Amino acid sequence: MGATDVIASVKAELGKPNASHPDKGRVSIYVDCSPTAEPTFEGRGGEELSIELSTALQRCLLGGKSGAGAGIDLSSLSIVEGKVCWDIYIDGLVVSSDGNLLDALGAAIKAALSNTAIPKVEVAANASSDEQPEVDVSDEEFLQFDTTGIPVIITLTKVGRHYIVDATAEEESQMSSAVSISVNRQGRICGLTKRGGAGLDPSIILDMISVAKHVSEQLIDKLDSEIAAAEACDEEL
Amino acid sequence: MAGKISNTPATYTPSPTSQNKKRPSIVTGSDWVRPDGRGLHQCRPAFLRTGAVNSASGSAYAEFGNTKVIVSVFGPRESKKAMMYSDIGRLNCNVSYTSFATPIRGQASDSKDLSSMLHKALEGAIILESFPKTTVDVFALVLESGGSDLPVVISCASLALSDAGIRLYDIVASVSMSCLGMNLVIDPVSEEESYQDGNLMITCMPSRNEVTQMTVTGEWSTPKIHEAMQICLDACTKLGMIMRSCLKEAVSAPEE
Repeated sequence: MGATDVIASVKAELGKPNASHPDKGRVSIYVDCSPTAEPTFEGRGGEELSIELSTALQRCLLGGKSGAGAGIDLSSLSIVEGKVCWDIYIDGLVVSSDGNLLDALGAAIKAALSNTAIPKVEVAANASSDEQPEVDVSDEEFLQFDTTGIPVIITLTKVGRHYIVDATAEEESQMSSAVSISVNRQGRICGLTKRGGAGLDPSIILDMISVAKHVSEQLIDKLDSEIAAAEACDEEL
Repeated sequence: MAGKISNTPATYTPSPTSQNKKRPSIVTGSDWVRPDGRGLHQCRPAFLRTGAVNSASGSAYAEFGNTKVIVSVFGPRESKKAMMYSDIGRLNCNVSYTSFATPIRGQASDSKDLSSMLHKALEGAIILESFPKTTVDVFALVLESGGSDLPVVISCASLALSDAGIRLYDIVASVSMSCLGMNLVIDPVSEEESYQDGNLMITCMPSRNEVTQMTVTGEWSTPKIHEAMQICLDACTKLGMIMRSCLKEAVSAPEE
């Protein structure tokens, strides 16, 4: 987006599901801020920002603790209930930072997930309930991830008395506070994070939510058409 | 069940008018009976005490049902030599869980995440220009986690800051709300939190009517968010009044 460049990658591994949610897979999101973006990110410098971005993304994409309201359907990742499931690792890398990192990462993750193909797995039928069942990972057949439910993130930055969408680094340096809202295709809010120190009037937050919904409709349409175009290109190759 | 409501005000509920409007929509759908018998829009009784830790500049202890938190504030202290000069003060926050805080031993939540959220909630309320070149340290310890931990930590931290004499724009009160199916439940217990479909946490300064922090997880429709925000802000105002009365008690008691 503009001068902000981010890369998102999705890796899937077989693993054991969480004891508290045996019928759901696991998704873990991590963002790394590389020093190529900003010299201050070297070593421990970018750690705080990484944690903030990772938490915000997890909040927006994974929903509540019971797994409801999540953008990614976790039960589709389960293979054998309670024993084997897919562990999805989503990694984001910030290559060039010119403001509005969260929105760019959200869009990148959505695109990466729509390009993800989970291989089909066959479970050996006569596994006893105690042992680890044998799984045969197929190289041929793949399952496409369903990304229609994944939300996009819109960050509204309050500068003075106005709010702007998609702030560059220059504009972000002047901000008093920012609200990142994640909206999905049905127009429901999947997550909201307020950043920045200054206090905000509650009516302003409600106003921002309606603006975000309006902007998100355009963004989702644009993203989906871009992703479809990119995939069509891939198939031709 | 923890029922230690010693000499501080008992349950506080949001204003009756808002409750009457919401009741029809809450009762439809699955009727959730709360484990401790509270109403859906009723917060837990709050027990607040300042001056819990003698060696700290300021400290506070808060008990909301089963959630027990102690916060101590040290400062303003000299900043470490490695840090650059700054003409406003610095705030350093740290939240940690004791190993016996959760039902399963050692199951610490992501405390780094909570520390940064506490920082963001408080930095909007502290007048940092009043202590340049120094650092104020806020250390929070969750003794028992009974649900809705972060809001309790934030409210307790702002009490501790006032006890330490740090200048604030206003005290910070924080309340969280869970969405369970069709119902909106305020101040959830850990059992309710594990079933929740969504969570909304608001931190605000009641007298200034300013929201310093707000986080929403899960899927919400806009009218639900409006409703939830209204109820939470109401509860924050009431909590703010309780915190103020606690501070006044602490000041008037030694004079007797």
